[in-house]
Amino acid sequence: VAKLAPLMDYYYETMYPELKMLEEHRLHILSKLKKSALILGLLFGGICWIVIDTSFMEATHAVAASTMSGGMMFLLFYRYEKRGYTSLFKDNVIEKIITFIDPTLRYQKEAFVSESEYRYSNLLPQTYDRFHGSDLVEGHREGVAVRFSSLHVEEKRHTKENKDEWHTLFQGLFFVADFHKHFKGRTYLFPDVAERSLGGIGTWLQGWHREHGKLIKLDHTAFEKQFVVYGDDTVEAHYILNHAFMERIVSFYEKERKNLFIGFVDGKMYLAMEVSQTLFEPNLTQSVLTFTHIKSYFERLEMVFGIVEAFKLNQTLWSKYK
Amino acid sequence: MEMFLMSMGAIALALVLMYNYLIGKKNQVDNIFASVDAVLKQRYDLLPNLVATVKEYMTHERETLEKITELRAKALQGGLDASSKMALDSQLSQALGGLMVAVENYPNLKANENFLHLQHTLNELEEQIAAARRAYNQSVTDYNNAIEMFPTNIMAGFMRLTRRPLIAIMTSERRSVDVDHLFKK
Repeated sequence: VAKLAPLMDYYYETMYPELKMLEEHRLHILSKLKKSALILGLLFGGICWIVIDTSFMEATHAVAASTMSGGMMFLLFYRYEKRGYTSLFKDNVIEKIITFIDPTLRYQKEAFVSESEYRYSNLLPQTYDRFHGSDLVEGHREGVAVRFSSLHVEEKRHTKENKDEWHTLFQGLFFVADFHKHFKGRTYLFPDVAERSLGGIGTWLQGWHREHGKLIKLDHTAFEKQFVVYGDDTVEAHYILNHAFMERIVSFYEKERKNLFIGFVDGKMYLAMEVSQTLFEPNLTQSVLTFTHIKSYFERLEMVFGIVEAFKLNQTLWSKYK
Repeated sequence: MEMFLMSMGAIALALVLMYNYLIGKKNQVDNIFASVDAVLKQRYDLLPNLVATVKEYMTHERETLEKITELRAKALQGGLDASSKMALDSQLSQALGGLMVAVENYPNLKANENFLHLQHTLNELEEQIAAARRAYNQSVTDYNNAIEMFPTNIMAGFMRLTRRPLIAIMTSERRSVDVDHLFKK
């Protein structure tokens, strides 16, 4: 709340002139999309009418084929226009908000957390066919080195009809930060789906999963309800996940209500949060000239940076200063 | 006959699995206790240095310092069982806690770089000890459940496995260490 007044000043003084141009561009795109929808509708409606009239195809087939073709063409056109607008939106809105939050932060709209770092963390599925992302932000928050981006990890699946389909394995935020405690092994926590849905049998099954080390039980009821922990070293997992830290994770989860995956590997904390779309996807139908709209992107960024404060990653222990 | 052999095979398999499960739980308790021991040893190693640093400043705390030295000496004597070790460790934690409160009355000591370093190292060790104790208690709970629950309790009876006591964890250990507060000191 304390930051909203300066944000409003910044919005009107620094962002507004460029946002007006962006808004004109958005309205222009919307108008082009409406026109193209009308033209495509008329074009394929006409083709459909001719096909039916000449009895070249059955009426239902002709309607279906022309609707699909027209829809596909419109979708291609929409994607092309949306891509251009997204790029401009990120330059004029997201980059500006990030500069407002902290001018030392670096933002690259096309870049993302590297595949090697993703693989090194071993936090999320390691077998996939497509790895891409956007919106890489790097820098320091409260003295803690942080890096995050949107990621979309997919695999190709063959359907019964022998077609290939892309299936999402993970989509959302991938956040990396220096951790404030020393540790040697690897500790992971995942949403406790098995125990929530299968009870005792779920716990038994979890014991067989060995990819992330052995199953570790912790002494915090609310935390144990939501998460399952694996790791190389039971004592180290208890050291990383002390009661206060588990409480912070639970309250962060309860606030966001998104699936959380957290890994502690080689002095770093890797956090993945499932979000159904890319972090800073613009909405073509919403005006950029309303403060509440811009504020929502600011709040999203603050939520991500807030991970440092929420988990108190800035409370570096003495030995980490050495 | 075949049915009988199959049943006997299944019973034998179940017995082997139960035996291995219980041994696994027992070994886990012992392994984690070894970790508790290791981290306690690190703290014992730190104490002579700490006492040497503070005793020239803390002239009125001679009794506490002597108690700490005495408890350390007792803890390092061989032949102590787990519960005696834990009881000594608990007394030592209390004595150290008292010492750290008393530090407030010695501004010169609070400004001593060597003391600050020792204090923070001790602080980290305390957190590691708390983690090791929690992990130990969790493993003991799993073990105690295994030897008391049906059907593993029958096998545990044959193996003469008995309940192990939990380590009492002080409320202060359940809280995280307020490092911010320490740095402000």
